[in-house]
Amino acid sequence: MNIDYSQELPVIERRITLAEIDQLIAKPLDEKPDRKFFIALSITLSLLLIGVISVSFLLFFGVGVWGLNQPVGWAFDITNFVFWVGIGHAGTLISAVLYLLRQKWRTGIARFAEAMTIFAVMCAGIFPIFHTGRPWLAGYLTPYPNQHGLWVNFTSPLVWDVFAVSTYFTVSLVFWYVGLIPDFGLLRDRTTSKLKKSIYSIFSLGWRNSHRNWMHYEKAYMLLAGFATPLVLSVHTIVSFDFAVSIIPGWHTTIFPPYFVAGAIFSGFAMVVTVLIFVRKVFDLQHIITLNHLEKMNKIILLTGSMVGYAYAMEFFIAWYSGNPFEQFVFINRAFGPYAWAYWIMVSCNVFIPQLFWFKKIRRTIPAMLVIVIFVNVGMWFERFVITVTSLHRDFLPSSWGYFVPSVFDLGTLVGSFGLFFTLVLLFTKTLPVVAISEIKAVAEGAQPSHNGGNH
Amino acid sequence: MSERKLFGLTALFQTPDEIIHAAAKVHEAGYKKYDVHTPYPVHGMDAAMKLKPSNLGFVTLIFGLFGAAFALLFMYWAMSKDYPMIIGGKPFFALPAFIPITFEVTVLLATLATVIGMLTFYFKFPNNSQPLHDTPYMKAVSSDKYGVCIEANDELFDPEKVRNLFKELNGQNISEVYFPIVETFKIFEPKYLTLLVVVALLTSATTYLTLNKLLYITPFTWLMQQDRVNVQSRSTFYADGFGMRNPVEGTVARGFIPYEYKGLAAPVVPLSNPLMPSSEVLKLGKKRFLTFCSPCHGNYGDGDSRLRGQFPNPPSLHSEKVRGWQDGNIYHVITNGQNIMPSYASQLSRDERWAIIHYIRALQKAKNASPSEIIEAKKETSSNVAQ
Amino acid sequence: MSHNDLVYQKKNLPESLKRLGFLLVGIGLALGLTGFLFDAQRALFNYLLSFVFIMSIGVGSLFLITLEYIAGADWSTPLRRIPEFFASSIPLLFLLVIPLLLNIHSIFEWSHKDVVAGDKILTGKSPFLNVPFFVIRTIVIIGIWSLFYYLFVRNSRKQDITKDQLLTKKNIKLSAIFIPVFAITVTLSAIDWMMSLAPHWFSTIFGIYFFAGSFVAALAAITLAVIYLKENGYLHPKMNNEHLFSLGALQFTFINFWAYIAFSQFMLIWYANLPEETVWFLARWGGMWTYISLGLIFVHFLVPYVVLLSQPAKMDPKRLKFISIWILAAHVLDLYWIIMPQVQSAKAGIFTLVFEFGFLIASVGLFLLVFYFNAKKQNLVPVGDPKLEKGLNFRL
Repeated sequence: MNIDYSQELPVIERRITLAEIDQLIAKPLDEKPDRKFFIALSITLSLLLIGVISVSFLLFFGVGVWGLNQPVGWAFDITNFVFWVGIGHAGTLISAVLYLLRQKWRTGIARFAEAMTIFAVMCAGIFPIFHTGRPWLAGYLTPYPNQHGLWVNFTSPLVWDVFAVSTYFTVSLVFWYVGLIPDFGLLRDRTTSKLKKSIYSIFSLGWRNSHRNWMHYEKAYMLLAGFATPLVLSVHTIVSFDFAVSIIPGWHTTIFPPYFVAGAIFSGFAMVVTVLIFVRKVFDLQHIITLNHLEKMNKIILLTGSMVGYAYAMEFFIAWYSGNPFEQFVFINRAFGPYAWAYWIMVSCNVFIPQLFWFKKIRRTIPAMLVIVIFVNVGMWFERFVITVTSLHRDFLPSSWGYFVPSVFDLGTLVGSFGLFFTLVLLFTKTLPVVAISEIKAVAEGAQPSHNGGNH
Repeated sequence: MSERKLFGLTALFQTPDEIIHAAAKVHEAGYKKYDVHTPYPVHGMDAAMKLKPSNLGFVTLIFGLFGAAFALLFMYWAMSKDYPMIIGGKPFFALPAFIPITFEVTVLLATLATVIGMLTFYFKFPNNSQPLHDTPYMKAVSSDKYGVCIEANDELFDPEKVRNLFKELNGQNISEVYFPIVETFKIFEPKYLTLLVVVALLTSATTYLTLNKLLYITPFTWLMQQDRVNVQSRSTFYADGFGMRNPVEGTVARGFIPYEYKGLAAPVVPLSNPLMPSSEVLKLGKKRFLTFCSPCHGNYGDGDSRLRGQFPNPPSLHSEKVRGWQDGNIYHVITNGQNIMPSYASQLSRDERWAIIHYIRALQKAKNASPSEIIEAKKETSSNVAQ
Repeated sequence: MSHNDLVYQKKNLPESLKRLGFLLVGIGLALGLTGFLFDAQRALFNYLLSFVFIMSIGVGSLFLITLEYIAGADWSTPLRRIPEFFASSIPLLFLLVIPLLLNIHSIFEWSHKDVVAGDKILTGKSPFLNVPFFVIRTIVIIGIWSLFYYLFVRNSRKQDITKDQLLTKKNIKLSAIFIPVFAITVTLSAIDWMMSLAPHWFSTIFGIYFFAGSFVAALAAITLAVIYLKENGYLHPKMNNEHLFSLGALQFTFINFWAYIAFSQFMLIWYANLPEETVWFLARWGGMWTYISLGLIFVHFLVPYVVLLSQPAKMDPKRLKFISIWILAAHVLDLYWIIMPQVQSAKAGIFTLVFEFGFLIASVGLFLLVFYFNAKKQNLVPVGDPKLEKGLNFRL
């Protein structure tokens, strides 16, 4: 099948009228949830329950219920935090960066991706709060005037994290909401239920599709996208600074910021592909979320996975090149020491397996890509684990070496975070339109006037 | 039975080309108070309506700059002026370390200002009572039709003219939109007052109960009720009921060195003076002697107390006996005390005692020097006054 | 409003361009070579700087071509010949590198066997940092770049005649392969030519740092060339200012990216304060270097950021011309800041004013000549490219 490069690929695969779009996307919101939904929800809620129980034990008995101890002071807590923040980044990237790059194919998936960002950041936020030991004092992390006369240490990356993650959450939420306003307007005008109508009216703020408003709206959207892009880079950069500002071999290396960002996009896109494979099937959105979308995302997965591989190679090479024996030991220890099992899972899942995406057939086959992206998520979780734990468990002084074993509560909290994420995703699919209705209408065929010089 | 006031006339169009054309024509006709409604932004509409580009960007810029300045100035003030601390050897104004937060605050303020500014200032939202809401027109333009609405309070508005214009442009469903009938009610209506009272009661009850009752229940009391022994209070943990405990048998104070000759009257103390009689040691010894020893022993060790009549007069330090003593014996007397002389171990460190001993030796030598030991001394040193 | 009658007409670039090119090369070489009489090592490092400058623009341009194919962008199709012409300087690197390869011992500390023997750390690095491997690497890397350049450009030129869409498909495949190759080769070049000037120092982000600076410089050179050519009617008449927007936006984006990478590298080393890493930055602080370091932030980030921030600014030819020249100067400043502190005698003075930029002047002349001779044989617009129509109709 040869592509004709002189033609622009349509965003939606078959001709669809605007009214059909309304019907297709708003339908799940009108219908009562079916049995499949409740089965799925019960699974995710069970996972969430495991998490709630684990966190309750944590609150009641203290951080000692986790497996952390000297020398490994950070393990699952930080690993899970970085993992979930990374997953959030794909959403902002699809939403904001692809918007700025004028990639129209983002339209079908942007709403969902943004929602995933918000849910992922919520899951991520659990961990820094609960790992503090006295999470009910989490307010101490913010600089408010107090009787001690104390301020937070603004030069500490942990404080930078507080600002970065809360800004990221706020801006993502605002960006998502701004995109939702016109859709709330539509839902308000469509619905027949009085209760739903008043809820939608409140959230739509009175949106009335006026072009005078659309003009400012588009400008705001572009400004938000323009800000969200450096924001997403800065958030994972600041998360990487948590490690890189230290002097620990394996942590202190200048490539961490772009490496973490590439890794975040890598794992985020893998999660987006995982979820979208199911969403498009369940909601009959195959011609809006097409194989072309999935293929493009798989290419990005291949690209960012290769960037992660490049970073591994650079770290390894420079560790040798530097002649620093501690740095060299870290890498030998990672590959052949007690955590070698984790290291090799990481390398095979992140470097080798995504290379399968060089093959077009695999990029466009659903079962194959599903397996690959799940491996990618596993691999990226292990990457954060390897970075955090292997550098800590054996650093400068051999008498301080140790071995971290996760407790059942560590695992329970991790499972619970997945439960939270998927529960929120399921609830989202039933309460809000999973595709940005006004955006997808704008790129449907025949949606734009034919004057004005061609394809715009 | 009030006359409903006309808000405007609306018309619907089927295709994007039609609405662009219609918008351009409406603008050409000279109408100012009109608007176009579309389910999504249609390209080229800005040009057709001859709209000036949005200046929302300035809001973003101003608030962004403000955010950056505020963050930097605040961190400068907090970390360099209000509570400066040396952290990691970095300067108080650690600019590279301040950059990440500055950046985040800039983005946060810029984006929030843009969105809130857009919604409140530009759109004047929330506003669910605009006349176009809940009309069939609005339902159509949300979904799949495009519409134009010309308001009645436009200068050129004339219902006939507008209808004709719409018909020319092939507009469908030309309809009238009226202002909603606004209910007014007096402020002293019973239902409203009751609502106010109920809300006030609920708010105060909730606040009171939260701050005075809830915060004293588990788990909010966890920090207050801690399983620990408090100082200077009873303890149910220890059998004797005391919170304060004695130190364990054999506990030694920091810096403590045992003195094995303590309590003995005249032991043979084989300690020798570890200090060299340098000028600093003699100076120190002189100073301490004059402070601690001279009240009884006098300024020169003659036993004539410097505080005549107030303090006991000990025997002279220049006696054969004392001159014949080893340094260790003098050390023992200072450390242990002798007769009515108390122990000075808590007032003088060991090195200070040895320094004093050097000074005493110097005094002894001064009073009992053989002619060959006397050397020319300069006039300045004959002064009696302690320096 | 039909633009269908506007067609590209191939015009040769004026003779005056060739004369100017030769003149600049002549003056530049004269100045640069005279510098050898005054301070040979410094002049050699100046030559190295110019070599890296040419290399960065050549390979950065090749990257832009790659990006267009892999992303399926169409706004850049009407102007793709310009980066192709800049990239044609890559095979010339074989010749330009010879003076450097002949003088390795005067440039690189690690090339002296006695120095290495007495230094445990350098001995450890010697399997990588030794003269034979260095020379082989250099040749192989320039060879790989030249190969990809040749393949890309051959397909692109053939397409002018055959209009075969399969050639686009081939170039897309080539782009996909080139990206990882590019990453590795650019990193190795950066390490070889710049990082190993201070052989005890290391930074894992250095390759990316060089890439960021190179790409920005290449974009600036391309933008400048596009504007001059468009204004003088050498490009397709349907092109307008909106085509410039993406160039301006890319410059803005990559200036920010460069600043981000530079800041990361600096801040992490500053924060951990480890002497084996800070020594490199300390060499770039004190005396004149303080001003150059601070100036780099201002010149390479703040000014371009402010100038290119607004949307209209990114499309305005006058602004773009100014900022492109500015950014090229900033890139030179960046390379100067990286390379020159390794020369003991590098202090500001007469030498700087008169001789130091000789080879750079020659580089500019070289690019003018490269353009002139390429434009004689090739179309300045890829007339056979299937995306050309879409690209010409590009609107914001």
